[in-house]
Amino acid sequence: MIRTHVSFLALAVFFGLGSAMAQSITDLDLQVHGYAAQGFLYTSHNKMFYTDSDNGSPAWTEAVINISVQPEPKLSVAVQGRYAMLGTSGNTITLDWAAADYKVNNKLGVRFGKVKTPWGLFNETQDIDQTYLWALLPQSIYDITTRNADLSHYGGVVYGRVNVGSRAGKVDYKLWGGEAVIPTSDGQFDDLNLAGNGPQNSLTYPIYGGALHWNTPLTGLMVGASDSRANQTSVLLHGGTESFAAWNNLSYFAKYEKNKVMVAAEWNRQASPGTLDLAGHPVASISTDTRGWYAMASYRLTDKLNVGAYHSQYFDRQAPLSTDRFTKDWAVSAKYNLGAYVYLKAEQHFIDGSALSLDSQRNPDPSPIYHATALKIGVSF
Amino acid sequence: MKMFISVFLLLASVGALAGRAEAQVIVIANQSVKSDAVSKNDLREVFLGNSTNLKDGSRVKPVLLKEGAIHAEFLSNVMGKSPTGFMVAWRGVVMSGQSTMPKAFDSETAMVDYVSHTAGAVGYIGKATPHGGVKVIDVH
Repeated sequence: MIRTHVSFLALAVFFGLGSAMAQSITDLDLQVHGYAAQGFLYTSHNKMFYTDSDNGSPAWTEAVINISVQPEPKLSVAVQGRYAMLGTSGNTITLDWAAADYKVNNKLGVRFGKVKTPWGLFNETQDIDQTYLWALLPQSIYDITTRNADLSHYGGVVYGRVNVGSRAGKVDYKLWGGEAVIPTSDGQFDDLNLAGNGPQNSLTYPIYGGALHWNTPLTGLMVGASDSRANQTSVLLHGGTESFAAWNNLSYFAKYEKNKVMVAAEWNRQASPGTLDLAGHPVASISTDTRGWYAMASYRLTDKLNVGAYHSQYFDRQAPLSTDRFTKDWAVSAKYNLGAYVYLKAEQHFIDGSALSLDSQRNPDPSPIYHATALKIGVSF
Repeated sequence: MKMFISVFLLLASVGALAGRAEAQVIVIANQSVKSDAVSKNDLREVFLGNSTNLKDGSRVKPVLLKEGAIHAEFLSNVMGKSPTGFMVAWRGVVMSGQSTMPKAFDSETAMVDYVSHTAGAVGYIGKATPHGGVKVIDVH
């Protein structure tokens, strides 16, 4: 219901205000941007991200197209479509976000429609591949297989910047609320879909949250925290029900960026109590209580070449004591800009543990220690 | 010793040339902008899309050159970024729904013309480019 209302409102603003306030396309400041990226995955053992990566897999494609107009200085309206395919998951075009943004001044702005959910350090940009060095963001927090659940929600965001004094820096705040929707093709349903028990409809649930980013007096240093909360929900499966209790997604993070250097770290906790009730089977717990963290650093060697490394760790405290309980990942990465539009990425991962990235259907007996190579070529405009 | 002096003189010359080059770019604004001066940090925030108002309350709208030496010099000196790095950062801002890309102009003359006729517009040009009708903002 929230979805229908906000979509209608955003469309009304897009077509109504846009045409009423602008005289021509030039006045509207119409812009089109986008990117497309093709990846290649190879793993020494295991099949990663629903692909046949142990044989080398090119089944990793992403593309985004963005159209925006700015009918007047305080108002902008934009829509963004996204295609994503990773192994057997995705392979669909989705509405990434579509929103009207009214910024009164630096202290207050409001965005509504289908909007990016601004939790954590990277969530708003985690599907915009060109904006970061890494081929894969740390999977301990930014799990690429469940990205659709995190990227955006129907509803709104209220945001602004408060100056807390010349010696105390500035604080950016973001408050959000609305309804999240996870489509049936999302990677997190891949095991169920493969077994013929996939969801009959999209999983929807109310969410709300807030984030603070303190831009400290030390130029380039930002320290922040966010908490995103979801109400209880359930989804009808083919042959059963999957239910989740209320849960929250808590992050603390910091980033320092100056000249050629970037250093960042983030800690995250997600507790998601849930049950899976399939006909003919006892009710099973699918609860997770995860802790993820990473620390990363990068250095711009030349205008075209950026290099870096990160270490990432993930623990599921609800999982039994085994290598399925954790994933530890060392990654080294390089990104090379061939010009203003084309870039290349190369990344090597040294992984210990099988809690992440490996679905049980394709990996019934996963090897806990393996290497992964990720290559990407992208075009952006 | 002779070699040391030669290297020193060479570095000093390069430094002096770099200093001269930096002084070639000036920041211009529409007459509606109240401030006559702005800090480099505040200007950086405006040109990265993080801020739409200066400390005096003026609502500002950054505009860019598409390419060229003045463009590269402004980005390097004020933003600390290469032209490619700057565009990549802006595409992230646009595609995450936080702002729309600033207008970009083929020539400094076109930029001066736009800034002079658009309330709140802020841009940058070479010092030698005629800039009647706009105010020059001191960057400190």
